[in-house]
Amino acid sequence: MKLSSITILVLSILAFGLPKNIQKKVDSEIKKTYSVDEFSFNAMTFSLEVNKSIPSEFGTDNFFEIKSDSINLGYAYVSKAPSKTDQFDYLVLLDSDLTIIKAKILIYREDYGGEIGSKRWLKQFIGKTKTDEFRYGDNIDAISGATISVRSMTKAMDDLMKSLKILNEKGIL
Amino acid sequence: MKNITLIFTLLVAALTYAQTVPDSLSVNPQNQQNAAQRILSGNINTGVTVGGYGEITYNQPEGDNGELDVQRLVLLFGYKFNDRVQFVTEVELEHVEEVFVEQAFLQYSLTDNINLRGGLMLVPMGITNEYHEPTTFNGVERPSIDKSIVPTTWREIGFGVAGRLDEVSLRYQAYLFNGFKSVNGSKVLGGSNGLRNGRQKGIKSTIDSPNLAAKLDYYGISNLRLGLSGYFGKTQAEDDIEDIDGTSVGVAMIGLDARYAYKRFAARGQFIHASISDTEDYNALNSADLGSALQGWYVEGAYNLLPQTKEQQLYAFARYSDYDTHASVDGGLIKNDAYDRDEWTFGLSYKIAPGAVVKADYQLFSDATDNDKPNQLNIGLGVWF
Repeated sequence: MKLSSITILVLSILAFGLPKNIQKKVDSEIKKTYSVDEFSFNAMTFSLEVNKSIPSEFGTDNFFEIKSDSINLGYAYVSKAPSKTDQFDYLVLLDSDLTIIKAKILIYREDYGGEIGSKRWLKQFIGKTKTDEFRYGDNIDAISGATISVRSMTKAMDDLMKSLKILNEKGIL
Repeated sequence: MKNITLIFTLLVAALTYAQTVPDSLSVNPQNQQNAAQRILSGNINTGVTVGGYGEITYNQPEGDNGELDVQRLVLLFGYKFNDRVQFVTEVELEHVEEVFVEQAFLQYSLTDNINLRGGLMLVPMGITNEYHEPTTFNGVERPSIDKSIVPTTWREIGFGVAGRLDEVSLRYQAYLFNGFKSVNGSKVLGGSNGLRNGRQKGIKSTIDSPNLAAKLDYYGISNLRLGLSGYFGKTQAEDDIEDIDGTSVGVAMIGLDARYAYKRFAARGQFIHASISDTEDYNALNSADLGSALQGWYVEGAYNLLPQTKEQQLYAFARYSDYDTHASVDGGLIKNDAYDRDEWTFGLSYKIAPGAVVKADYQLFSDATDNDKPNQLNIGLGVWF
């Protein structure tokens, strides 16, 4: 067996990378947000020890570095959070200083709580950075009829900020 | 050799993929589960959802016996066949002994913004009919307008389209539903509860002409959510008598609602107006007293007495309701002043967890007659998970 075949085998079994439909949406948001056509998108992973010290999940397919012409444009964080009876996929785009420049719900799978996809609501996170905290109903608006998902997304975003702060303090980011 | 490697590779890849998407109808005896096991193992990856809500209430009118009741216990089961196809059902036990199906619909997601739905669904009218879980509203009992004018839990069989437009913060729903039955068994429309007796609830329901229900929800303004609902059609009569005057009435109902939440303060309000045509003939034929217009509104303010840093919430609230099932009458029918009602409700909702609430309130009732109506104390427990 040639080395290339083994590589294919390994790649197939591990099957990493974002699911196709998610990747497509992520690519399109990156192009729009950073105003670029071509870019590289590489997963960043951290040691188990680092992962244990942060509240958010930073697995093999969560955190990505975005580069264009070898210049760091920023980072993308893709993850899932619970809605009432399911999970939704969301994307957060950061600039190279770890400031949020975009938050988007990529796939929302149930009827209840889908209001969190509102552009207007998600705008509240833009411009915030690793030292910011998000609290439901306090500095993040409630949405009537979507309480569970609003709480869930707010917590996910708050955890992400905490995680970025820790990674930054450790000198990893 | 190369080909064999490739086939092997694909096979392994396919197997690893297959293992991440469990088949609900596995033929492999080692993987077989019965429905209960599947629900019990209910994590998101299996596609099964189990949930529910319930209300246990105590109503104590002044100078009369109180009533203790397991008002509702509703069990939600959902199954997601894939990202596009979902089935949702709610089985309801009312007052312990009556079994109903509250919702049972299949949804197909055409795109992120368009979902097609069919089955037994909630009619989108006002706030409470769609959001009726006890942790989502203040007061042990639902607002009275949502009993007498919007007959919650109002559901019928139908089909339609629903979705959201995130760019403009708009949720839309439009359905064709089966309508109210003109005469439901021995029960006629009218009286203190307007159309309520006509609900068919998907029980061997009679269809004559479909009714349209639609709602728009706008959530593009901070902390505010606005709703506009409409329901238009006719009540359903048996075919062999449908040409007789008065066997059916026309219904046109509109609703406006608003919900506001800012830090520890919350408020909501709702206005519903229904005009009903041909009530003169209907009342004459059925010896009924159905008004030609039903109308009601309420406003409510609430304040969380606990600091926002706490997960628990203790809302003190006050609600004023004004509603009349004889807002206008046709023909010789004389307005019944006892149907022209208003009420104050003062109370507390203590959310000991986001999905569990203990409620207590006191209600002052009055109507347009000179009669005194007894006030009522209500205490209740509610859960939603």
